Amino acid sequence: MSKRPFLGWFASPSILIAFGLTASFLAIIQYSLRAHVPGSLDPGGFTFDNFTTLWHLAYGRAFMNSLLLCIWTAVFALLIGYPLAYAMIRARSGLLRSAILLISLTPLFMGEIVRTYSWMIVLGNRGFLNSVLLKLGLIDSPIGFMFTMTGVVIALVHFTLPIVVVMLAAALSHIDRNLERAATSLGAGRVRVFFTVTLPLSMPGVVAATSTAFAWTFSAFATPQMIGGGQVSTISTMVYQVGFASFNFPLAASLSLTGLLFAIAVLALFNTGIRRLEKYGAH
Amino acid sequence: MLSDTLPKAASKTGEQIAVQIDGVGKSFAGTVALKPIWLKIARGEFLTLLGPSGCGKTTLLNLIAGFLEADAGELFIHRDLVTRVPPHLREIGIVFQNYALFPHMSVAQNVAYGLRTRRVSKVEITERVREALALVKLEDFADRRPRQLSGGQQQRVALARALVIRPRVLLLDEPFSALDRNLRGAMQVELREIQSSLGLTTVFVTHDQSEALSMSDRIAVMSRAQIQQIGTPDEIYDRPQSRFVSTFVGDANLFSATLISSSGKDVRLKLGEVGLDLTTYQSDLPAPGPVTLFVRPEHCRLTEAGSPGAVPATVALAVYQGSYTELYLDCPFADTGRAMLRVPASTVMAPGTAVGIALPQQGPAIFPKE
Ligand SMILES: Nc1ncnc2c1ncn2[C@@H]1O[C@H](COP(=O)(O)OP(=O)(O)OP(=O)(O)O)[C@@H](O)[C@H]1O
Ligand SMILES: [Mg+2]
Repeated sequence: MSKRPFLGWFASPSILIAFGLTASFLAIIQYSLRAHVPGSLDPGGFTFDNFTTLWHLAYGRAFMNSLLLCIWTAVFALLIGYPLAYAMIRARSGLLRSAILLISLTPLFMGEIVRTYSWMIVLGNRGFLNSVLLKLGLIDSPIGFMFTMTGVVIALVHFTLPIVVVMLAAALSHIDRNLERAATSLGAGRVRVFFTVTLPLSMPGVVAATSTAFAWTFSAFATPQMIGGGQVSTISTMVYQVGFASFNFPLAASLSLTGLLFAIAVLALFNTGIRRLEKYGAH
Repeated sequence: MLSDTLPKAASKTGEQIAVQIDGVGKSFAGTVALKPIWLKIARGEFLTLLGPSGCGKTTLLNLIAGFLEADAGELFIHRDLVTRVPPHLREIGIVFQNYALFPHMSVAQNVAYGLRTRRVSKVEITERVREALALVKLEDFADRRPRQLSGGQQQRVALARALVIRPRVLLLDEPFSALDRNLRGAMQVELREIQSSLGLTTVFVTHDQSEALSMSDRIAVMSRAQIQQIGTPDEIYDRPQSRFVSTFVGDANLFSATLISSSGKDVRLKLGEVGLDLTTYQSDLPAPGPVTLFVRPEHCRLTEAGSPGAVPATVALAVYQGSYTELYLDCPFADTGRAMLRVPASTVMAPGTAVGIALPQQGPAIFPKE
């Protein structure tokens, strides 16, 4: 300890944060176990009623929607992010590499609200996308992107793409090019090299990116709230609605707690997946 | 032309050429990685590319393998023009310095990879994988993962993986440089045995001159993006054609001398007051004037100071090497100020002793002064 004289100083902010997090977490737990007193912000006595209330269909749908959003967002973010990351790592031209990096990272530099508003402009019935499709004669009447799952997924894919691209690029850049060359010399064409060498070796990155995209989407609030417009209820929009429209803090607390456990369970599942795949990792 | 010569074994069997390189060169964004070269490699030949770092060895290998596209020139493998054939269709085996084994596959799966791409039947795959692993003495390791093997074992798997497809040419890029000395020696012998038993055309890259001398049928000494000299190991060692080759392969004593006159291969030289009449192995000699005289240490003899025809020197340092002693001599005519002789281990020489270096009548060479 004497060799690290500043350790205490450096650790103190994290202790403060840990304390704050623990305290609020405990507050949520204790709120979730209190009765709601209509018309009052102060909770009543101890009860488990909040959790039984959650068995209601509306909440079930919110859980279902959250899970579906996560899955669809992760799937599309991967499908778009993988080629981007691959091109970013493998492109011969440095200009192209920087361009891909810049374009895929821009969503990070915009605030969530600004980004979501932009998507509302693009996705609206008279928005950019529909106007273009109408002009091209591909559709006769505007497609309703707003207030639908599709619209929310499109915006969330944009939101999660940067982290997915960066994580996949990191995984791809660690693959030894000689492995692909060896496979090529053994008679494998590009496609075969990709599916038998590159893709399997990037799997740990794929799983990590997916689980991050999952967590990222699961906690998203402004996007489903604004683009979903109340039609696509997720756990986070539900918490907001219950807590700040009905001022039922105890129910909101139990909803967030259950959501948290749900997310942890999903991520734990992913982690076992990663560990299994890391056995085959490149190192 | 020098590079057009083929080893005797090949010319006897009548121009069995495995690889023919006609003016193939490569530049990267202005830097010349490999000047256009012309080279024929005979079937079954073990050719070593030897040269310092950055001289273009890997570039040449990648051009043969097809991982790089040549700027100009044509490449033939077994009479087929392959200049524009993609690498996966060239039927070339490659072994990399870092082994490059597929970490997500077992040893057997690694070796089977090249057979799977060729749609060989399951039964035949099993049989040929077993054979290939037996060849490198790793039958019992088939189910292991590459990272459960030692460096030497991994390199043998890499060799088996490249051999199992019966490649037309085997390329190895510094395959043993990550191995320790003893293992490297054992692997060199093993590779050479396998190579000659299979009659496999092999291009081997190294920057280790003793490895090159001990393994090769022919050595191509490279520097500055081109082949400086190509020949059998003893040609390269005994008759280097340039100062670079003489110092890069083996130890060399280089003296500053003045060429007085020459007729044929006989030359008359002066080192200060000492006059020398020597016979070189060279066909073209530099013009009279300042030159560099090259002699191998083992051709120099230690004599008493002042003996006629001996180059004056004083003992600087004696380094005991077990079976012999390396005697470092301060010599005003030596290019680096120092000359080196090997003397019997029992020789005792105090530093500062004045001695003479007797040069052989036959065998030295004369290079233009740089
Ligand atoms: N992809 C590349 N882009 C730019 N320059 C390159 C590239 N590959 C090689 N070079 C340059 O070409 C020259 C030859 O490289 P090469 O890899 O063939 O050398 P080498 O003889 O294999 O050296 P080493 O013994 O260090 O492996 C070097 O100067 C190197 O910097
Ligand atoms: Mg190299």
